[in-house]
Amino acid sequence: MARPPFTNDIRTLRFLAGEMTQGDLGDRVGVTRQTIAAIEQGKYSPSLEVAFRIAHVFGKPLEAVFQWSEARD
Amino acid sequence: MPYREKIAWLTLGSMIVAYSLYFGLILAGHPAGREMFPMLWLFGSIAATQALVVIAGHIVLATTTPRAERRRRDERDRAIGRRGAAAAYYVMMAGMILVGVVMPFTDTGVKIANAALFAIVLAETVSLTVVLLSYRRGWHG
Repeated sequence: MARPPFTNDIRTLRFLAGEMTQGDLGDRVGVTRQTIAAIEQGKYSPSLEVAFRIAHVFGKPLEAVFQWSEARD
Repeated sequence: MPYREKIAWLTLGSMIVAYSLYFGLILAGHPAGREMFPMLWLFGSIAATQALVVIAGHIVLATTTPRAERRRRDERDRAIGRRGAAAAYYVMMAGMILVGVVMPFTDTGVKIANAALFAIVLAETVSLTVVLLSYRRGWHG
């Protein structure tokens, strides 16, 4: 399946947040660990609400977490 | 492998085994393909056995999977489920047109009932296959 036309820095942000686990992030966002893993790998495009919740957990604006990738457009 | 994916594999696997046996016996000439009571007995016993296998599998998976992995379905699980149901809808619709509109003019009751059961099994197989492919390959609803 084609990748979505955007990338994300969730893995890096988790590392910078003291090696937050996928499970911890999932708990705080309200999704499963597998869904966080799928988002990180570009296998799932989250809803706008979950995208904002992830950004909120890291205290970042949405565009600091998800970046539009022209090459994948 | 995610808990929901294991459940989908369990359901699909047991369904393929159970209904391959049922429809295989019918194609081989079992009376269930022509008469009502043999059909009810064969289908009932196979469906009940499959249900027991699925229930037992659920119990085994629930006891061997950590609680954190078994949490409620989230938006991705629901989106994947909807995708599977949407694909199955077309199969079910085609099957029901055949069973309800075409076959009453050409076939008997038991044959029509078996064709309806086949359409339901096929639709569920398509649904579960789409669900499994979505978990494996990704889903960008």
